[in-house]
Amino acid sequence: MLIYILKRLLIAVPLIFGVLTLTFFITRLAPGDPAAFFIQPGISPNVAEQIRAQYGLNDPVPVQYVKWLANVLQGDFGRSFSRAQQPVFDVIAQALPITVTIAGLTLIANFTLGIFVGIVSAVRQNSFLDRFLTVTALFFYSMPEFWFALMMIIFFALKFPLFPASGLNEIGAEGFGSVGFLLDRLWHLVLPVTVLSINGAAGIARYVRGSMLEVIRQDYIRTARAKGLPENVVIFKHALRNALLPVITLMGSSLPFIFSGALFIEVIFAFPGMGRVTVEAIFARDYPLIIANTFVSGSLIVLGNLFADVFYAVADPRIKL
Amino acid sequence: MIDISAKRVSAMCGLAACLMLVVLALSSCSRRNGSQREVVKGGRAMDSTLVIAMLGDADYLNPLLGSTVTSANIIGLIYPSLLQSEFDTTTGLMNYMALEKKLREVTPQGQGKKDPKGALAKSWQMSKDQRTITYILRNDVFWNDGKRVVSGDFKFSYQLYGSPVIASTRQQYLAELLGADKGKVDFDRAILTPDDTTLVFRFYKPVPEHLALFHTSLTPLPAHQWKDVKLDEFRHSPLNLQPLGAGPYRLKSWQQQQEIVLASSRSSNLPKPGTIPQITFRVVPDYTVRLGQLQTGAVDVVEGIKPEDFTSLLKANRQIEIKTVGLRVYDYVGWSNIDQNEYHKSGKVRPHPLFGSARVRLALTEAIDREAIIDGYLKEYGVICNTDISPSLKWACNERLVPHPFDPARATALLRAEGWLPGPDGILQKQGRKFSFVLYTNAGNARRNYASIIIQQNLRSIGIDCKLEVQESNVFFESLQQRKLDAWMAGWSIGLEIDPLDVWGSDLNKSRFNFIGYQNPRIDALCELAKQKMEPTGARAYWLEYQEILHRDQPITFLYWIKETQGFSRRIEGEELNISGTFYNIDDWRLRPSANVAL
Repeated sequence: MLIYILKRLLIAVPLIFGVLTLTFFITRLAPGDPAAFFIQPGISPNVAEQIRAQYGLNDPVPVQYVKWLANVLQGDFGRSFSRAQQPVFDVIAQALPITVTIAGLTLIANFTLGIFVGIVSAVRQNSFLDRFLTVTALFFYSMPEFWFALMMIIFFALKFPLFPASGLNEIGAEGFGSVGFLLDRLWHLVLPVTVLSINGAAGIARYVRGSMLEVIRQDYIRTARAKGLPENVVIFKHALRNALLPVITLMGSSLPFIFSGALFIEVIFAFPGMGRVTVEAIFARDYPLIIANTFVSGSLIVLGNLFADVFYAVADPRIKL
Repeated sequence: MIDISAKRVSAMCGLAACLMLVVLALSSCSRRNGSQREVVKGGRAMDSTLVIAMLGDADYLNPLLGSTVTSANIIGLIYPSLLQSEFDTTTGLMNYMALEKKLREVTPQGQGKKDPKGALAKSWQMSKDQRTITYILRNDVFWNDGKRVVSGDFKFSYQLYGSPVIASTRQQYLAELLGADKGKVDFDRAILTPDDTTLVFRFYKPVPEHLALFHTSLTPLPAHQWKDVKLDEFRHSPLNLQPLGAGPYRLKSWQQQQEIVLASSRSSNLPKPGTIPQITFRVVPDYTVRLGQLQTGAVDVVEGIKPEDFTSLLKANRQIEIKTVGLRVYDYVGWSNIDQNEYHKSGKVRPHPLFGSARVRLALTEAIDREAIIDGYLKEYGVICNTDISPSLKWACNERLVPHPFDPARATALLRAEGWLPGPDGILQKQGRKFSFVLYTNAGNARRNYASIIIQQNLRSIGIDCKLEVQESNVFFESLQQRKLDAWMAGWSIGLEIDPLDVWGSDLNKSRFNFIGYQNPRIDALCELAKQKMEPTGARAYWLEYQEILHRDQPITFLYWIKETQGFSRRIEGEELNISGTFYNIDDWRLRPSANVAL
């Protein structure tokens, strides 16, 4: 398995490098100018030129690429254009824990909710409850997340102010003590995590339902029932555990969706995470930050997929890597 | 086998959940350690904290580099300023104040609330030849670290402002100093500091006093803190995160992209410690969420509330009021006056085939129902715009100009006189060319979207085919700069000193913002003549004529001035909004519940 992991990691290197190269050229060739902000009445025309020279944007794109490549190979992804020239990894280091927190909580909520709904649907196949859950799941699955987020804010933060509409903590949360601060943070995460996870959970529910229905029809389930085992034990101990194995692969493939979902969730809920960093970097044409974000997101996604594959093999000894 | 794998799955899930909790704890701990905040004594934190929602974070809290609105607001509270400036609402002129001197006396009606004690300068003296200005500084002002603010801080800072390596956006302020005419300011001769409280600026040409005051009152940095920082490290120096000021507030914490917290600076005598103990600038990028936060009382001030939201906002929370500032922003429809293709190909200036004639542009203006746009969207927060000189600048505004009326019949007649006649499909044609074009605008501006739809309908009704296209802002601006567009809708926010040559100057290479390619030598001459006047009101006649020409030529269709609207919680007292800024006297604001909280 170790060799398999090493192989996968080695294959990931050219893959990520290719993605970065593509990103480099796409961002450079797209219209827009990182120094555009400095072109305003009342600002000397020299400023934009000086800024461009500092950013190295006056060189031809191939020269910029070679210079960038030389720096990246030394581990230097450069400094952000739009964020006070901080090293890009410092910017990301501030933002990543927030996004990882949201993504992690979303992943947990996704699977918990999805598996629960999937089991109920499968066990009560073709009942009113099953149809109701199916329709509800499809409703949430097809709903645009940004719209859903705004609706949740209007409903739960304005009409019935149960949860905060934005930010990571309350003003003065520092005085709540460690546990209070953590709970305050969790309270602020309820709405965004709900928005992000409901959509994914609906998909997982459909998947679990299908998987469960397949397993329930297996001989060993019939045998378990024939043995006179209670239905709970049959479902949770025998059927569910086997039905969940294919669901594990979904974990890895969920990551890209959760990360892309975080893009606008962070903008709407004012979280300074990777999503907002990326969106703002794109609008500001902050090339180094866009590329570094691509690198981090890309690496996380590749690692997520690898983790899912390995996890699957660990969980199911029938799979040999 | 099943049991083994199931146990493995359970173990893995448990491990993942534990890891998640650790990440959550770490993410919250890192924030807490980073801020090192303490709760303001007395009552709930909100009782002594003013919370302002901002669209974006500050880029720098360094006066040389800060270029966003948030930066400017915060820098103004942290750093000392040489002079206090305020806008005289009765005349529209800027006034500058030192501790013992004012540029001009103002009537009580036009008087603002700025305290001259907020100025670092005691007085100033302009030489008779208008080439030298000498400031006498107070000797009782100290940086937050206890060092005195001296004239050397200004000389040091101006040298940095002029450095091309630092690329400060305020380089333009040095344009009159000795040596600037030869391409490089001679700082040894241009700025003199005979002693710690005397600061002398010397210009290569006579400079009007108000302009000299404006350009020499750039915010200083503490020289003793910054003197060892290399120029090429200036923009990313860690000192940028620890601003050392002398103003009424000091930086308490800065969680980037999240919030900036300022605390009243107890040692400040410029003019005194800020009245509200703590001000938090919270970054909330989404408009709906900012609005919701104002409604629930989570924030106290939100700028740029859209008129369409007033009713529901005020109905939902009676503790909110809407305030406006003067007319500083206008929207317009730009018509390319020149044939850009020809200009890009050969450099020759030829009239644009559609919009090259002043009579056609006048017809377009008269075909657009500007009142309908105002009534439908801006309501009482919009005023018809005639030229780019704001009605708030009363000393210069030509009030005799009568707005071009909405008159489709006259517009049709004007177009007919220019040879534009209806074709078989109802669209006007001239020599086989249809009057058809694309009107571009930038994405994400609801007001312009609304206006562009009315414009499209208005123009269609007189036989003009106007297609609408929205571009991402950065792309849109690049297209404008490169003079690629035939017609577009955009807006300008004007400066309080009138200097429009960049927008209308006939030299198309020099006038970077003359996107339409308008050329009129008389406009160039009037702008130059006005600049030469040593007292702004002396240039009034030039500006009146300037406005008459623009009104006649209609290089663009001026649509409407916008009264910017800000949402305020009623718990704020003492606020005075001014055209020079919403937070103009924020250090004097009070919070009702915080009245009993001791500083």
